[in-house]
Amino acid sequence: MRALLAALALLAAVPAHAQLDIGRIIDLGRKAVEIAPKIQEATKEYTVEEEVALGDGIASGFLGAIRLHPDERLQRYVNRVGRWLASQTERADLPWTFGVIDTEVINAFAMPGGTVVVSHGLVKRLTSEAELAGVLAHEIAHVLKKHQLSAIQSDAGWSAAADGAKAVAADQIGRRGGGDVLGLKTKLANAGVDLVKDGLFLRPLDRSMEYEADRLGVVVAARGGYDPYGFVAVLTMLAQVKPEESGASITFSTHPSPADRLAELEKVMPQLEKFAQQPQVEQRFRQNLGAK
Amino acid sequence: MLARLIAPLLLAGLSLIGDASAQEPASTNRATELKERPAADSRTLASLAADSAVKVVARQGAWTQVEAGSQRGWVRAFHLRFQSTVESSSSGGSGSITSIFGFGSKEAPRTSKVATLGIRGLTPEDFKNASPDPAALKKMQSYRADRAGAERFAREARLAPVAVAYVGSGS
Repeated sequence: MRALLAALALLAAVPAHAQLDIGRIIDLGRKAVEIAPKIQEATKEYTVEEEVALGDGIASGFLGAIRLHPDERLQRYVNRVGRWLASQTERADLPWTFGVIDTEVINAFAMPGGTVVVSHGLVKRLTSEAELAGVLAHEIAHVLKKHQLSAIQSDAGWSAAADGAKAVAADQIGRRGGGDVLGLKTKLANAGVDLVKDGLFLRPLDRSMEYEADRLGVVVAARGGYDPYGFVAVLTMLAQVKPEESGASITFSTHPSPADRLAELEKVMPQLEKFAQQPQVEQRFRQNLGAK
Repeated sequence: MLARLIAPLLLAGLSLIGDASAQEPASTNRATELKERPAADSRTLASLAADSAVKVVARQGAWTQVEAGSQRGWVRAFHLRFQSTVESSSSGGSGSITSIFGFGSKEAPRTSKVATLGIRGLTPEDFKNASPDPAALKKMQSYRADRAGAERFAREARLAPVAVAYVGSGS
């Protein structure tokens, strides 16, 4: 509802000649995505700039709910591992940003535009850089495949907010000859904040998206020179975590069970077995994790 | 004198055993072979039936070192099943104790359906009530690594890029 209101507020700012039938939008409620060809067209493709702006808003809203972990050495370490992995992919040029959040909940999140956040509770349960690489590579894969963006676009309310912002901004850019980049950024970022409030991080992605990110992630980890079985060890660890002990509930309510994920990964890991001898980098991981 | 020499060794041994992660209970999820080394062409020490109880000692790539009875050897990582989380998280308490070790129920665990207990630190309300924090975003972005820096960092750990094609769904 909040998202819909945001979309309506944004639409109200559209110049008269571009305005849509507001009464009809209200009738359609969360089906607002169908309202007009103009917006529908705008939803199809996000430019990288639009994706990054929306992702910044989402990240800003997210960080309003959860603090960054204060360990700056750990933050920089995770960024180096993540940036190295992302450099091995087809979206190497995104402004990749990695963050550790200050919670003992076990989870990791990907946001459009190349922002990946991992919880301290998850990091401290890992035993090597190869395992960390597995986690980050899974999230990187979500960004590569724009899974979060697809989820936003397939939800009527969410897409009304995000695409509404995009259409408004696109219209302004059109009239000002491409000058209003800041306006676009602001509107998309505001829409991103609304998406977070509207439960973006509480709704599961498609199971097929999680399995795909698992499959791509182990390849990205192997490309970075790590033992891709590090991620298998992570899923094995997750299979043993008791939700009520770890606060892992959101992980378990938004992902297929670790056992199901292991069963899916087993189908493809034989193709990667020749990389199982690659380093796990345990010592550097321990050094950067600080006092355990 | 001898005791003084042995004591530290005993302590070292004890701390190894005391490390819970080094002695995780698991069971085989199918009939499999206990190998002398972590390799398919290694000598087979024993044939393990499905649902054999083992203890995990170490992991190495595709292989997991386990203790099975009096023997120690390596089994394929995917041939092991670990303690389920389902029974501990369902409020009804009807889950059977035996399944802690992976025996008993053959039903696939459905953790996602029961895991609504014990959320700490991340609640729907936290998200709903959050005000955007652009300062925190800026701070997070200040930790970014550039591509060249990340490459140097990788080389320091002797990580070299490898050409690997994406794998399909396998089914």
